[in-house]
Amino acid sequence: MAILEEPIKQVLALRNYIGGEWVESKGESVDVVNPATCKVIAKVPMSTRDEVDAAVKAAQEAFPDWRRTPPLARVRCLFRLKELMEERFEELSRIQTMEHGKTIDESRGETRRGIENVEVATGIPSLMMGYNLEDIAAGIDEYLIRQPLGVFGIIGPFNFPFMVPLWFAPYAVATGNTIVVKPSSEDPISQVKIAEMVEEAGFPPGVWNIVHGGRTVVSEMLDHPDIKGICFVGSTPVGKNVVYKKCGETGKRVIAQCGAKNYLLVMPDADLEKTIAASLTSFFGNAGQRCLSGANLVVVGEGLGEREHDDLHRKVSDALVNAASKVRVGYGLDKSVQMGPLRDQGKKERVTGFIDIGVTEGAKLRLDGRDVHLVGDWPHTCFLNPTVFEEVTPDMTIAREEIFGPVACIMKARSFDEAVDMIHGSPYGNAASIFTRSGKLAREFQYRVQCGNIGINIGIVAPMAFFPFSGMKNSFFGDLHGQGQEAIRFFTESKVVIQRWF
Amino acid sequence: MEEKSTTASAIISFAENLEDSSARFYRELADRFGNDRETFSSFANESEKNKLLVTRTYQETITDALEACFSFKGLDQSRYLTSTDLTPDAGYSTALKTAIELEDKASEFYFCVAEMSRSLLATIPRAFKTVAERRRNRKSVLKALLDKVSQK
Repeated sequence: MAILEEPIKQVLALRNYIGGEWVESKGESVDVVNPATCKVIAKVPMSTRDEVDAAVKAAQEAFPDWRRTPPLARVRCLFRLKELMEERFEELSRIQTMEHGKTIDESRGETRRGIENVEVATGIPSLMMGYNLEDIAAGIDEYLIRQPLGVFGIIGPFNFPFMVPLWFAPYAVATGNTIVVKPSSEDPISQVKIAEMVEEAGFPPGVWNIVHGGRTVVSEMLDHPDIKGICFVGSTPVGKNVVYKKCGETGKRVIAQCGAKNYLLVMPDADLEKTIAASLTSFFGNAGQRCLSGANLVVVGEGLGEREHDDLHRKVSDALVNAASKVRVGYGLDKSVQMGPLRDQGKKERVTGFIDIGVTEGAKLRLDGRDVHLVGDWPHTCFLNPTVFEEVTPDMTIAREEIFGPVACIMKARSFDEAVDMIHGSPYGNAASIFTRSGKLAREFQYRVQCGNIGINIGIVAPMAFFPFSGMKNSFFGDLHGQGQEAIRFFTESKVVIQRWF
Repeated sequence: MEEKSTTASAIISFAENLEDSSARFYRELADRFGNDRETFSSFANESEKNKLLVTRTYQETITDALEACFSFKGLDQSRYLTSTDLTPDAGYSTALKTAIELEDKASEFYFCVAEMSRSLLATIPRAFKTVAERRRNRKSVLKALLDKVSQK
């Protein structure tokens, strides 16, 4: 099938967006590479500490006026931003495919999910309201108001370059705060496009700033005394040991959404055809580079004899291998393609390293994604096909560690309780799903499992914009989550007023 | 034979191309056959609206298709293609017959994808069904025009 037209025709030289100006960085530039074609599509600067400071200063200066801007006027900027995103929907989606590698359907889904957050944040005049009570004592009333705090920092991950910063940014600015966004240096173009639309939508200079870069930028944002809070999505080691710790030391609010190892339980009464279809998207969507991706599929033998359990396991395993072997892998701008490349060669090598370990530790490799076959003639550099392991046991590395690639591990548990124990044996608690027709078991699963996002016959438990993106244990550090009402509470201070007039 | 699984974007592209080529075709008919210019122009305009409806519906609900792991399994788009290239000397009745074939296959395509996408959010099959019905109605209009030509 023909490749859709690429919206990026020449190498882009990306700049920071500070105080409403597009500013060239003094830092050195690194290449942004399209992982499917291996062509350089942009140069992104590694900004300096001074440049972060300039962005924070611009945001700090914009804050007093912006917070005094009526909420309705603030959301008019968001309405215009949403309209611009709709107008440029296709361009934005194709850019994500070019800079990240995901398929065009996945990119369009990401664009939609990003826009939905802007839409929800436009409800701020209602969502941000406080509450009151008259006559708490004679002639005395008490009320609560929500006020913005100042400047927030948003540190984006590579796996959803467009959407993830939008889990936070629209709520932050709608509530009257100002922001400094650091996009992932691996795929920063989407955030530049958003900033262009922010400018066009008429946000005052300094309200929404972009600073490109790497560790130096993150470190400066974490240290900066004028940043009141940080939103971070990335790995657990960085989220826990750097971001959360540093925010604790510097008194910043923090949302740190981190790694995962998500379990999918298949009960004997599950609708197998639908379960396999859901598992396929869960394991291999976005090439497995999602913190909500399925990792371990557990075939549960609750109420079955050993032979019946083996039969069920064989059936599930064969069906998944068969379906996974048919997934069409290639450049995401080819509309027939169902899975794109990994973001870069290093990430591919990390995944193949896990496959090697799986084999060494004795798991049975049913489908080897290292045997790359593509739709179209593309360099194999970043590509893998789906991989399926079976006979995986909970002690194996591939069952415990986050692979972040298109690898499915099939396991067995004799009972529901044993399967729940497996989930709880993981240090992560991002998502878990059960496939069953039993309401009782589903309720039990929802009640007991210590994960922030629970799926019942759902493969990818992605909360909509009006619900928080939850997470527990080593998958989340902080108190309040991104998106919806929790984001509004995160970005505002609750102030209580007790009033009496003499 | 292995069952084909077609991505949502491939189906939407097919629908968009179908509406584009239909619009072009009817503009050509409007230019060539002035007596029924208004009818053909209205079909061309409607095709542009159809494209907008399908594209918008897809863009607004693509996450549903993804989360429902949806694909149009077994759909063979080539069944619904009609060549709309008219030779310079093609007469009015030839043009009408081509148009009827186009509408026949197009409405069949839209009814088929509407049925296949019934498990998704209601807006998706509804959009396909709306376009399918519009195109079926066109077929009736075209048939009436052809009958008139035959009676002369």
